[in-house]
Amino acid sequence: MKIRFTLNGEPVSVEAPAHISLLHMLRDYIGLTGTKEGCDVGECGACSVLLDGKLVNSCLVLAPQAGGRTVVTIEGVRGADGGPNDLQQNFIDHGAVQCGYCIPGMVLAGEALLARTLTPTRAETREALSGNLCRCTGYQQIVDAIEATAAERRSGAAGRSTAAEPVAQPAEVVHG
Amino acid sequence: MAEFQYIGKPTERVDALDKVLGTAKYAGDYRLPGMLHARCLRSELPHARIVRLDVTPALQVPGVCAAITGEDYVNHGNFGYPVADMYMLAHERVRYVGDAIAAVAAEDEESLAAGLAAIICELEPLPGVFDPEEALQPDATLVGEQPWDSPTEPRGNLLVTHIVRKGDPDSLLAASEVVLDEHYSTAHQEHAYIETEAAVAVPWPNGSGVTVYSPSQSPFNDRNNLCKVLGLGVENVRVIQPPVGGAFGGKDDQLYQTSGQVARLALLTGRPVRMAFHREESMIFSYKRNPMRVHIRLGADRTGKLHASKVDLVVDSGAYSAITPFVAWRGNIHAMGAYRYDACHVDTHVAYTNNGYTGAFRGFGNTEATACIEQAMDELADRLGIDPIDLRLLNGLRPGDETAHGQRLGDDVALIECLEQVRRVSDWDRKRREYTEKNAAVAGDPLAIRRGIGIASFFHGLSLGAEGADFAVSTIQVHDDNSLSLTSGVTDYGTGSRTVFTLIAAEVLGLKPERIHMYRPDTDTAHDSGPTVASRATVVGGNAVRVTAERLNSVLVNAASDLFGCSAAQVLRDGEFFIGPQEEPVGFEDIVKHARKIGLTLSARGRWDAPNIHWSLESGTGKPYFAYHYGAQVAEVTVDMGTGKVSVVKIWAAHNTGTVLFPQGILGQLYGGITQGIGYALMERVVFDQGYIQATNFDEYLIPTALDVPEIEGHFVQKPFSAGPFGAKNIGEPAMVPTAPAILNAIYHATGRRIRDLPANLERVLLGHDLRQQGSDRACKLGLKAG
Repeated sequence: MKIRFTLNGEPVSVEAPAHISLLHMLRDYIGLTGTKEGCDVGECGACSVLLDGKLVNSCLVLAPQAGGRTVVTIEGVRGADGGPNDLQQNFIDHGAVQCGYCIPGMVLAGEALLARTLTPTRAETREALSGNLCRCTGYQQIVDAIEATAAERRSGAAGRSTAAEPVAQPAEVVHG
Repeated sequence: MAEFQYIGKPTERVDALDKVLGTAKYAGDYRLPGMLHARCLRSELPHARIVRLDVTPALQVPGVCAAITGEDYVNHGNFGYPVADMYMLAHERVRYVGDAIAAVAAEDEESLAAGLAAIICELEPLPGVFDPEEALQPDATLVGEQPWDSPTEPRGNLLVTHIVRKGDPDSLLAASEVVLDEHYSTAHQEHAYIETEAAVAVPWPNGSGVTVYSPSQSPFNDRNNLCKVLGLGVENVRVIQPPVGGAFGGKDDQLYQTSGQVARLALLTGRPVRMAFHREESMIFSYKRNPMRVHIRLGADRTGKLHASKVDLVVDSGAYSAITPFVAWRGNIHAMGAYRYDACHVDTHVAYTNNGYTGAFRGFGNTEATACIEQAMDELADRLGIDPIDLRLLNGLRPGDETAHGQRLGDDVALIECLEQVRRVSDWDRKRREYTEKNAAVAGDPLAIRRGIGIASFFHGLSLGAEGADFAVSTIQVHDDNSLSLTSGVTDYGTGSRTVFTLIAAEVLGLKPERIHMYRPDTDTAHDSGPTVASRATVVGGNAVRVTAERLNSVLVNAASDLFGCSAAQVLRDGEFFIGPQEEPVGFEDIVKHARKIGLTLSARGRWDAPNIHWSLESGTGKPYFAYHYGAQVAEVTVDMGTGKVSVVKIWAAHNTGTVLFPQGILGQLYGGITQGIGYALMERVVFDQGYIQATNFDEYLIPTALDVPEIEGHFVQKPFSAGPFGAKNIGEPAMVPTAPAILNAIYHATGRRIRDLPANLERVLLGHDLRQQGSDRACKLGLKAG
């Protein structure tokens, strides 16, 4: 079937079977492999994307459910110059990246949180990350990176540019 | 401490940008023109004879391009180190649920599934053995074909034994004023890397060779296995390590099989072949951390001075050996802990069973051994009425001491400093006293939230030790655009070693790290440096980089001295500038130009061999490692006495790392290791019921989330290590080793309940035993037929 939706700010039309997941469609029908498969049962968050601004596990969303909606994947999170945005740069600066496999999901979980509040406590940040498993980092430097980004965005210090698709409404964290 | 330009300063990890942008290509992300999809038919029985196996019906299925068995390899695809007991695809029998029997490559997933279903595979069930101690009984069912037997020495399921021998502990234990005699056990642990295994093979023109993209930790071992089973020379096989989505010891042996399967299928079809695993198949077929049963006896006098120890370890290797003989050896060496004894015996027995097989996992035997001995030390302190840190300070290894192996230690030993530091930063003495009083005050309240604080200290031998030849090789080259390329045979699977190597080269050469491109591990560009295991990257790999960069640096200094007309000793440096006696600074690029003009070659290759060590398997004595990492961690917990829920409130860690090279990297390794230790202590256990794995995804096998992990405070005792690059030691494995026993000891402090079997899950904390299993899941979740 033909599935039409907005992907990273651009309208797209994809011919894909109706029974596959959004994750499968992104990776195998569109070729965006930044969204990762870790468990395919909604437990690990490696496949996190923003669907109408909400953080979802794309392995639990059927591809046709994206029809008419906006999807932001890690490929849509960029700074104004096409490089890393402020949150991604803070992941680098704070040593929040090791093997990197969970990181696209972590960045999107961070963006979903920061769209909701720029004053998260560390406990709230951990709560917001609790649907995203990481086996390398122990999460602490990821929390540091999100905390630093929140502070920068509060003060407006950083050249603010987040996801290609502006997050229209406060994002809610949806766990599988 | 020496002032460095680049070392110890905040640095960007060399591969972080691609990873945050989502552009890093892991093996499962490869999509090549004409690429085929592959998967294995796997055993649904824990032990069976293959009575009939015919893959030709699969070849009749539209879309199926190739189907193979063990007969498609040289010598049935036999491989394995140190024991060659595995096959690329099973030979004559299967030994565990998940054992690969045949493999199919097809145009798409649908034809692949149909092809696998069409294979004729008849399995005749054999009795299995699932308990390592039962497996060692003389009449036990044999797991394999008596792999280690000789006609004169039948060994049954005994894979290997190891010992440590010092003095006569029996007589000293008999004479000791206080004796502790307890049994402990540890569980199978799943590595749970978030990236499952995958490999891609690309055939060369006319079937002349094959390139395999494989996230195995050790590309050279991978290549050497491929050469052996495919019957190709080293010039016809190239293995490239793409970004690896976590490994922790867990991406070697099973990926050698996967590499062999995709390589053979690619050579047969002439097309690229990818095999990528879903989580269920990954958890079923991959090896786990070894479970161990540990019997400890400690003898001390009333002041707390230790005199003797005796430790027996029984290790379950599961269906195959993999690297378990070395894991058990490391456990054997560390089983008595980082303490002085007048006498010590350790006896380690490793058994084959029909459980899933086991192998390397962060800490490599020492995580298991330390979980037990550090609880025993806590129990001894309790019986003596001595503070647990005081007991460790009294007996802990110090510079110049002799270990239980008869090794005289050097001046790098810093166990005492780590213990004192972690005592101070955790406010140990006050908390220990206050929590003891508060817990006593609520002793009658079955719903109280109690608080406890516990310690564990440890040592961890650097690098391979007597496990194997210990060396690494690097190369470096200056290119026409004045950038440099650096290689190492030691790999980076997320640990940060490529960044560490870049920093070491930059520091030696006085050049900005941005100039240096650290290549990905590739058997065509790097040189064999042994496996990347045992936390050997920083010290062994790092020293090879240092030696290599020093060689290139001497070329540059020669060029500068020729340009300046002075001696090499008169050439000074200021950043990237070379300065001669006339104090005229000349930049790196002009020195390169001059070097070329006078005919110097601007490349170098260097090798570093670890200092000599020796271990006698027969006498159980020697110098097992050239040096050790020392450390101590304190855990603070709360325990809900009504539910058994343990929350880790904070962890303080002090590690004798020597010089810190890559600050964000060392903290990341520390936090990540501790997090795996929290899982090991409280929630992680892979259960095999009659050989059937009970949890196959993250909905059933739980690992710590961001909510399970507290804030961690890391401290590094930077006593420079003379044999390390710029004075550095390792961190990867040691970070995890003491975490679980520190938590278990904190639980005891809070509750008075000693949980000697890992993990300390809810029912064990609450009831002191496991709830009876409500049935078992024998269904193999692979959805494949057993015949």
